[in-house]
Amino acid sequence: MNQDPRQFPKAAREALNDPLLRPALTRMKMNFAARRAHGVHAYGDFETLRVAGRDIRDYSVTHLDELLETLEASVNARGGKVHWAATAEDARQAVLAILRETDAKTVTKGKSMVTEEIQLNPFLEANGIVPVETDLGEYIVQLRHEPPSHIIAPAFHLTKEQVADTFRLEHTKLDPNRSLVERNTLVQEARAVLRAKFEAADAGITGANFLAAAEGAAIIVTNEGNGDLTRLLPRTHIVVTGIEKVVRDMNDVSILLRLLPRSATGQAISTYVSIMAGPVGERAEQRGFHIVLVDNGRSKLIGTEAQDVLRCIRCSACINHCPIYGAIGGHAYGAVYMGPLGAALNPGVMGVAETGHHANASTFCGRCAEVCPVMIPLPKIMRHWRAVEHAQGLAPKSLTFGLALWAFAAKRPRLYRLGASLLARALKLFGRDGAVHALPLMQGWFAVRDFPAPQGKTFQEQWQARR
Amino acid sequence: MSGRETILAAIRARKLKQAPLPGPYKAPAVAGDLAQTFAKKLAAQQTDVRVLGSMADVPDAIADILRGRNMAATIHIPPDSELALLELPNVEVRREPPGQFDAAVTFASFAIAETGTLAYAAGNGNPASWHFRPVLEVAIVRPGAIVAELEDVLTDLRAKGGLPSTLNLVSGPSRTGDIEQTMELGAHGPKSLAVLVLKS
Amino acid sequence: MSTRIRVGLFVTCLVDLVRPQVGFAAVKLLEQASCDVTIPRVQTCCGQPAWNAGVDEDARDIARNVIAAFEGFDYVVAPSGSCAGMIKRHYTEVFENDPAWLPRARALAAKTHELLSFLVKVRGIDAVRATYAGSVCYHDSCSSRREMGVVDEPRQLLASVDGLTLKEIADRETCCGFGGLFSVKYPEISERIADTKITDVLATGAETLTGGDLGCLLHLAGRMRRDGKNIAVRHVAEILADMGDDPALGQPAK
Repeated sequence: MNQDPRQFPKAAREALNDPLLRPALTRMKMNFAARRAHGVHAYGDFETLRVAGRDIRDYSVTHLDELLETLEASVNARGGKVHWAATAEDARQAVLAILRETDAKTVTKGKSMVTEEIQLNPFLEANGIVPVETDLGEYIVQLRHEPPSHIIAPAFHLTKEQVADTFRLEHTKLDPNRSLVERNTLVQEARAVLRAKFEAADAGITGANFLAAAEGAAIIVTNEGNGDLTRLLPRTHIVVTGIEKVVRDMNDVSILLRLLPRSATGQAISTYVSIMAGPVGERAEQRGFHIVLVDNGRSKLIGTEAQDVLRCIRCSACINHCPIYGAIGGHAYGAVYMGPLGAALNPGVMGVAETGHHANASTFCGRCAEVCPVMIPLPKIMRHWRAVEHAQGLAPKSLTFGLALWAFAAKRPRLYRLGASLLARALKLFGRDGAVHALPLMQGWFAVRDFPAPQGKTFQEQWQARR
Repeated sequence: MSGRETILAAIRARKLKQAPLPGPYKAPAVAGDLAQTFAKKLAAQQTDVRVLGSMADVPDAIADILRGRNMAATIHIPPDSELALLELPNVEVRREPPGQFDAAVTFASFAIAETGTLAYAAGNGNPASWHFRPVLEVAIVRPGAIVAELEDVLTDLRAKGGLPSTLNLVSGPSRTGDIEQTMELGAHGPKSLAVLVLKS
Repeated sequence: MSTRIRVGLFVTCLVDLVRPQVGFAAVKLLEQASCDVTIPRVQTCCGQPAWNAGVDEDARDIARNVIAAFEGFDYVVAPSGSCAGMIKRHYTEVFENDPAWLPRARALAAKTHELLSFLVKVRGIDAVRATYAGSVCYHDSCSSRREMGVVDEPRQLLASVDGLTLKEIADRETCCGFGGLFSVKYPEISERIADTKITDVLATGAETLTGGDLGCLLHLAGRMRRDGKNIAVRHVAEILADMGDDPALGQPAK
């Protein structure tokens, strides 16, 4: 499984040739786009809502320090604790310290892309603590030792037969001959297996979709209810999330809640929205509530041309509508965040040298920006990373050379007209039956396409001739 | 420098133009009678919504719901709940937390018409985990509980001293689309949700 | 509408090199709409390949030449949503930090239009005098749709063509996979996206594929030729200017 963003071209090729992935992608594309379109239409004036979402998130990103301080004061007032993790390592250590302090051995996890980002699970395992993913899709990929291939539908790339095989392999205490044909049977089996884990867990770790500074609350949305069982049953609840998730208050959250599920799955609201402010009050013994705020490169984006990507509310609409993601799926990116979100974010936090392909593998069709609930100008940010790459001399040499040649001519009209005339004649000459099939140049074009042959004279030549 | 100082310093060093305070946003008004809209929206989410006259009708409704699902005539009620006073002649009442095959009944703190959503403010008599443990969740919505939007719930809670430790919004039974993008019910939370809306 | 206006035609580098008849079709359509058309000889490219590749200095140099060559006209029209979009939507970004050129870029952007929306919205043309027997499906390029907002105008004009039946592609919003240099940087991904679009196009049963951006059309026509599919491909200006008899893209001269 590709975990290296530099291997993107090779990984993309493998994905294109994966026969099981294609029907999964077709189904995913159709479902998400249709559902979102339906949900947006049902809302009425969705555009005004997007503007409101953008403004709320812009306020957050440009007042981040104040809001985080307010959040901490509010959380403290409610008996919780905030931990500030500048790096991924700091975040891992903060979580470990809390778990050690509370003598936690098994931990259930609600879905959290940030914990993927900081690679929390292998770290906990190396330290003798067992993390169990409880979101069904995350649970399945965890059993298969695969990374998630989508930020909200982690196992979309799998067939139910593949899931059944995995369950048969891993759920060793159950009758090996049991029938696992129906999807619902698989779901009920996971429910039963994971219920035992929920009940045995010493601590629960979730992410947060939003943090409300005024109330000191973390908010999660799920359709399964696993996040709630993760919080409510164990002694300790740890929220691990990015610093940029904070907004002023629950009224901001309420507006964003109208945008998030609709943009993701077309739902007016997710089945479960949980607003969690302070320790759980259900059992007699002392309970803990911790929020680990993770920076891990986010603050670096503030004040740059990529700042707007910090508005992101992780709905996945951009991913769902991207033609590139729709052709290759999530694993090819070799990173936690894929599609247009990854293309805008990864070069900033992981570096352009590492993730240049993400920003380059885009047609700039603009569909992502069109569906983004908080109006992030995603192609503009990708272009910015391409400019950074060029300035650092990291763009592929052949392309840079070809472009430089083109630009040289394009700035010199007479040279350009001459060059174009020659090129038009050469292309016509190489043509067979109206199309050029191969050339020693532009391998990328001719690998998969013919090139329609020109008439032989440029427009400018012909226009001049007619005067 | 502590993590806190490092992060705050990094943000402050880079902050440029500050965006203005967002203008007020008003969501589209919720059409029609709030109770009807609430019931209609929740019923569209694989939920058994019944409109009853009053609390007097609740015991029979609960018995009927359990029978209709081939479940034993047993229901769990939180010990400190106002519901603990309810007399259920045909149903055994248990007070411990429900297990994954059990049924439970609680009062909803609010019912939000905009999205067909139950809101539960955790507290004495309303333990949050009870909305996730059982396989069948029954919620009773009293007339005063129905509001138009989440903002109304927040206003009400603020007036009463602020958020509870957990405020759960529930808009249907538990579901997942994680296998082949096809929806299945009963992933972790209740597989079945029944809501009794009281007219008085 | 009979007041004559001065239009600078931005021919586009692809039209100039590969498909000059699109330029002649544009001139014809504009003259039929009472425009005095000038083709500035010094034009080369709008600079988009350099801008999209992040080679900002080259993009600025090229864009300055475009502004200088075209800012004197009443309108600037291009038979391409992509090139018109570059000038109209992105030149102000190119000169964001240049106080001398930013106002000039803004002024040029204000009077730059894609060809069909110009004819319909600015010149009030609601029909053309052309014949084209057969069924046609229209491909909306991403830049025409999203940068220039051109969706209805091509369909309106195609509907007025004698003998032409318009068929619609089921999914009109998804990219064709060209994306300029993307098509050569990531050829196999570009190919897969093209094949998905081509399947949709063929499913309409249309005999001709047309559209407003030559880049998309060259990519789709080239892919279809390589894959043995032979539906005719033409730029929409050719059809509307009654030049639909020329050999289609990638087809041999008769």
